[in-house]
Amino acid sequence: MSGLDKTIHEPARLRILTILSGVDVADFSFLLETLGLTKGNLSSHMDRLEKAGYVDVRKSFKGKLPHTEFRLTPPGHEALASYWDDLDAIRALQDTHSAARNGRAAGPDAST
Amino acid sequence: MGTCDMSNLKPEASDPREIAKWAERYARSRTIPFLVQWVFITTLVVVLGALSQGAIMAWKTGHSGLQWTCILAIAVFTLTLLWFSIAKGGRRQVWHISQWVYGREGYASPRGRRDADKRAKRMTWLLPVGLGLGIYHLIGLVFVGLGHLDMRYLQPFSALYMVPFLAMMILSQRLGLWAWIWPVLYAVHAVLLFVGAPIDFPGFLRYLDIIIPVFGYGFLSMIVGHFYSRYAFRRLRSLARVGLEDVLVETGEE
Repeated sequence: MSGLDKTIHEPARLRILTILSGVDVADFSFLLETLGLTKGNLSSHMDRLEKAGYVDVRKSFKGKLPHTEFRLTPPGHEALASYWDDLDAIRALQDTHSAARNGRAAGPDAST
Repeated sequence: MGTCDMSNLKPEASDPREIAKWAERYARSRTIPFLVQWVFITTLVVVLGALSQGAIMAWKTGHSGLQWTCILAIAVFTLTLLWFSIAKGGRRQVWHISQWVYGREGYASPRGRRDADKRAKRMTWLLPVGLGLGIYHLIGLVFVGLGHLDMRYLQPFSALYMVPFLAMMILSQRLGLWAWIWPVLYAVHAVLLFVGAPIDFPGFLRYLDIIIPVFGYGFLSMIVGHFYSRYAFRRLRSLARVGLEDVLVETGEE
């Protein structure tokens, strides 16, 4: 388990990165509305992802209103792809173990 | 090093990677900015057409005051159309109206859009091709006026330029599948008119033979895109929120 990136493994952050991997840019309101998080919760997740270098943050003003856009960085893309690979490998391993356990539990006559 | 929470390893009803697919589908089908542009440009083109007719009628009846008023108004509306199509101010207005329509939903742009915008800036041939579209249709109208081209064949004549032009725009802007409705219907309409299918309008309504494919099919494709974006957004939201409810309860969030 130590191979999995803990920054990404948190469910909300995993979803944020997955959404950002499907788009070029998304703003704060879009992520808020899609995920149903509170502003404070989303802000803290975005800070964490920005500090990890996975997300690029661009702040601007649209008229008088502040506007924050997020974009997945190349290291963010790599980290997410690597996370999915690791997760798939672990799940495959779990499936193999489960199949072996079930085979033992059923006994030698199970196939007949 | 502490171990990770195992809850993310549980098999889920759908692969979380589906979230990325639906986010992309949603971003590619956000058509409100196109619809805003479409409404504005169509309104201006209709106003310009009415003013042109007004100027011709005033000239024929000898009302020079009305004629010059119409010509002045044509100049003003043409400049407005150019400002809206080219200037940054026009793009800003489209952004503000779109954001107002989308409300709390926020903004997401499709992957590759930035590259497409950069490429569009480098495409020096885009302006001549766009101007060529206008000139080509003007030639078609002149042919109709001179009696060299039957009004029935104006739309098929237009399709020879319009269909490749639309296809090129869709590919260069990386628009969603919805956008292909416009050139496909345009081409089908042209073929049907050319082979003599009874889909043409009679008498003074014959201008609809060209107006409906130009504006109607464009509007239809954007509306289809918009409704698809509503569906994609609902799918995206439901997929993205699966498994988050438990986390929010644990952390005291609502």
